Amino acid sequence: MSRFGHTELPQVQKQALRAARRLQWIWLGILSLTVVAMAAVMGNSQAMKTAWIEDMLSFLPPLAFLIGARLATRTPNERFPFGYHRAVGVGHLVSGVALAGVGLLLIADGGSSLMLGERPPIGVVSVFGTPVWLGWLMMLVALASCIAPVILGRIKRRLAEQLHDKVLRADADMNRADWLTGLATAAGVAGIGFGWWWADAAAALVISVSITKDGWENIRDAIRDLTDARATTVDNSAPHPLIARINSRLLKDPRVVSAQTRARDEGHVLHVESFVQVAGSEVEVCWLNELRRSCAELDWRIQDLVLTVTAEPHQEADSSA
Amino acid sequence: MTRMSRRPAALLILAGVLWTSGCAEYPADPDRSLAQAREGELSVGVVEHPPWTDLSGQHPAGSEVELISSYADRIGAQIRWVPGSESELVGLMADHELDLIIGGFDENTPWASEAAPTRPYATPGDDPGRIVLVEQGENALLTDLETYFIERRTR
Repeated sequence: MSRFGHTELPQVQKQALRAARRLQWIWLGILSLTVVAMAAVMGNSQAMKTAWIEDMLSFLPPLAFLIGARLATRTPNERFPFGYHRAVGVGHLVSGVALAGVGLLLIADGGSSLMLGERPPIGVVSVFGTPVWLGWLMMLVALASCIAPVILGRIKRRLAEQLHDKVLRADADMNRADWLTGLATAAGVAGIGFGWWWADAAAALVISVSITKDGWENIRDAIRDLTDARATTVDNSAPHPLIARINSRLLKDPRVVSAQTRARDEGHVLHVESFVQVAGSEVEVCWLNELRRSCAELDWRIQDLVLTVTAEPHQEADSSA
Repeated sequence: MTRMSRRPAALLILAGVLWTSGCAEYPADPDRSLAQAREGELSVGVVEHPPWTDLSGQHPAGSEVELISSYADRIGAQIRWVPGSESELVGLMADHELDLIIGGFDENTPWASEAAPTRPYATPGDDPGRIVLVEQGENALLTDLETYFIERRTR
């Protein structure tokens, strides 16, 4: 796995991809253990149930990443002339919709528990003949289960930047926010212990709101890329800097009068169309070819670059340099 | 975090632990069922279901009646027996009139969302295990009763 479609990955990205895939497999393993442990001590706590469902949903982004990264390596063919890079975006959207849908359901569930004043009963379990209040085990598991994702989330975020992978980035952000889930769950159960029956449902509401928020952000970002919005940095905060770099590279050529570039995010790589206006009325194929090659060399993400000479500047394409 | 700001956090946790251990009950009852039972009365609904409960005599009898009586002795409570049908008693429990309901209920009781079933009180050998219904969310009483079930078996 050293390429995305026709794109040969640089050494740094090759290593990042390998590390990210290994990390996601480890994470799936940890997640499976967490889900089993949570189910074992879940009892009647609404907060525990909500946190458990969140853990089940946490399987989606790493799976979307692993499947997307594998499909994206396929080379373009006649049926898919642009390659399979969009697989990443599709995975992103699917996990976003699942998160938001279940998040809303859980808000309704937690809200109704709170309104109906349901009082969660939590009894004791026998640990080798010693009675132990199940609430202690719940708090222990809830807090322990948020250690790994917070650490892994930090590493995943760095790898996501290197790979320009938004699914991995969204997954990393969800993991990093897992401490909230752990803390809210433990607080809810601790509240039950103090006789505050509402603490549990309130904690469940906090968790389900955070799930819905994750889902909404995933949907928004995935749709933005799938509808060919201007390519941005991996955190969607700014236009992708490569756009301006391509323009300034084009303008370096003495024959280019003005240049505009539009780029869309295909997942890991960008599809780029650049328009140049030149002095004079003729261009040579070899000059155009050389200019294209010099742009494509700027970065591994822009191997799929189309360069055209037009009489008028392109209206919507970005002319910043 | 600096050394200075870590110390109050540790003190806060220590205070929390001391407070919970110093507290009369953790977990606590939202409606103080266990505390009220210790001060006087434990209200127990009884559904006729021999051999676990038997209402044919002048006083309630049966193995579950004996079980709850010895539990009440342990916590120093007087028992107020309230005979009735399952749905009547569950309704009374929802109005906080009852602490427990007995009547040979098993683990698969359909009342699990109206009242909290305890763990099976006898050995898991009898299938399905027999349980007692506790008022929903009264976790001090539930925990104390279940602790009694476990200790009774190990003795």
